[in-house]
Amino acid sequence: MNDAIRMQISAFVDGELPDAEADLLLRRMSQDAELRHKAAEYLEIGRALRGESNVKGIDRLLERIASEIDDKPLVDVVVKPESVPARAMRPLVGVAVAASVAMIAIFGMQITPGIDDEVTSESAVVAESAEDPGYTVPQQIDDQLRQYYLSHGASSSELGANGMNARLVTLRLSEERLSEEEVEDSNEADESADELQQP
Amino acid sequence: MQSSYFRVLLWSVLIAAQFCAGASAMADRVDPSDWLNRMGAAVQMTSYEGTVIRIQDGKAEALKVVHTVSDGVIHEKVVAQEGNGLEIIRIGNEVHCILPDRKSVLVEEWDDQSTLFSTLPSSEVRFGSEYDVSIVREDRVAGRQTILLAIRPHDGYRYGHRIWLDIETAFPLQTQLIGEDGEAIEQVKFAEISLNKEIQAAALAPSYSTENFRWFNQPSRHVSHELETEWHSRNLPQGFRAVLVQGEKLPGNEKAVTHIVYSDGLANVSVFIAPGDDQSAEGPSRVGGSNSYNAIIDGHRVTAVGEVPAITVEQIATTMGLR
Repeated sequence: MNDAIRMQISAFVDGELPDAEADLLLRRMSQDAELRHKAAEYLEIGRALRGESNVKGIDRLLERIASEIDDKPLVDVVVKPESVPARAMRPLVGVAVAASVAMIAIFGMQITPGIDDEVTSESAVVAESAEDPGYTVPQQIDDQLRQYYLSHGASSSELGANGMNARLVTLRLSEERLSEEEVEDSNEADESADELQQP
Repeated sequence: MQSSYFRVLLWSVLIAAQFCAGASAMADRVDPSDWLNRMGAAVQMTSYEGTVIRIQDGKAEALKVVHTVSDGVIHEKVVAQEGNGLEIIRIGNEVHCILPDRKSVLVEEWDDQSTLFSTLPSSEVRFGSEYDVSIVREDRVAGRQTILLAIRPHDGYRYGHRIWLDIETAFPLQTQLIGEDGEAIEQVKFAEISLNKEIQAAALAPSYSTENFRWFNQPSRHVSHELETEWHSRNLPQGFRAVLVQGEKLPGNEKAVTHIVYSDGLANVSVFIAPGDDQSAEGPSRVGGSNSYNAIIDGHRVTAVGEVPAITVEQIATTMGLR
């Protein structure tokens, strides 16, 4: 295994590998036990760096994940838009910010040290460029937009929603809100303590 | 002796081939809508226990899932196998999301049938107008024989779906949300599953004692009233129509916002209209397969959100205006 592959696996584990390259790597992983083991090893290292406890049987599970990934071509469902305006192809300015949220959406909570450490959204954003470059700290969408996502999830559910993970996305967003409430609680507690200490 | 051995072998092969062809023909004869009906019932009625792999943005995550329905009440436990060990314990509509690393429990109310399959399409969707549904082929998923259904949109304003249904039970063993480029935006797939097995109560109990955990309730949104609004889209993508218009007071916001839901029968897009002219908020955003777009129009912040391509929310948001 050469260094390029190792770097690719490392980037993949950190969620920093472009989609096309990630797909290719997943295909290779499904056929190459050594690659799967290396990916599992890197995941373990990441977990250790983040101080997370090990998960029993994770090796077997990761092997399973790799072997179960369906890389069949999607030709039977490729639908080319007939008249999508040209702006559909334009690079979207905010996607980089949102993609980091999407990356941790649902079960990627292991890569959210900013949230886990009960920091404010501002400091989480700063942390992205300052510390721990081994994994990505998400920038957060503004509170109003988050409320809109949650409200959309609720009303879509009432109407028979689409998007099979919409529910879990809203859960992830709820958790972000919880994190902020914890910070507010802790700030209020600090203020109360300060008041008590004042002569 | 040898020739009789080969004769037996040949007959076995022929019988097996005939059986497979028969099963295939049977699957082919059933209308795709019937499969969707059966799927809807299977998701509601089937007890199952298994490991689900969720793949999104090139990342794979695993979940252990236990689900059963007893006296019409859903009992479910979902445990993330990596990361912070998130557990979702559900009894009926009450859902406890346990975050063991933060010693916290988030209490929510969900009114759908299943955490994993809350949002699968049903046969009530008007196929033929904006989408086609068809049976593609038979396949194997989680060691079981499945039939692959494809729901193809006619244009780039909505996503497609691929659903692998267990032939025996019509239970969805794999689902994919397909983007404009034909690639899967996200997929959920059972790596292993036991269907209709008896689920012990212990399998549904939380893995943690939450006695000393902090509990948080989801603040409720207040739907004030259905209303008539002058706001509308001047260039709504084909097939979408307004199905809901209401005033809504969201947590943390003093003023009510106008909430319009547009639907094509399968995909939903919410448009929120609130006073505001912060230009910095303009533009697109994405969470998972959901896209949103903020536009400032006539002194209002207009936000479109939905599980549709970015172009759809952008077109809807930017074409909103007063009659």
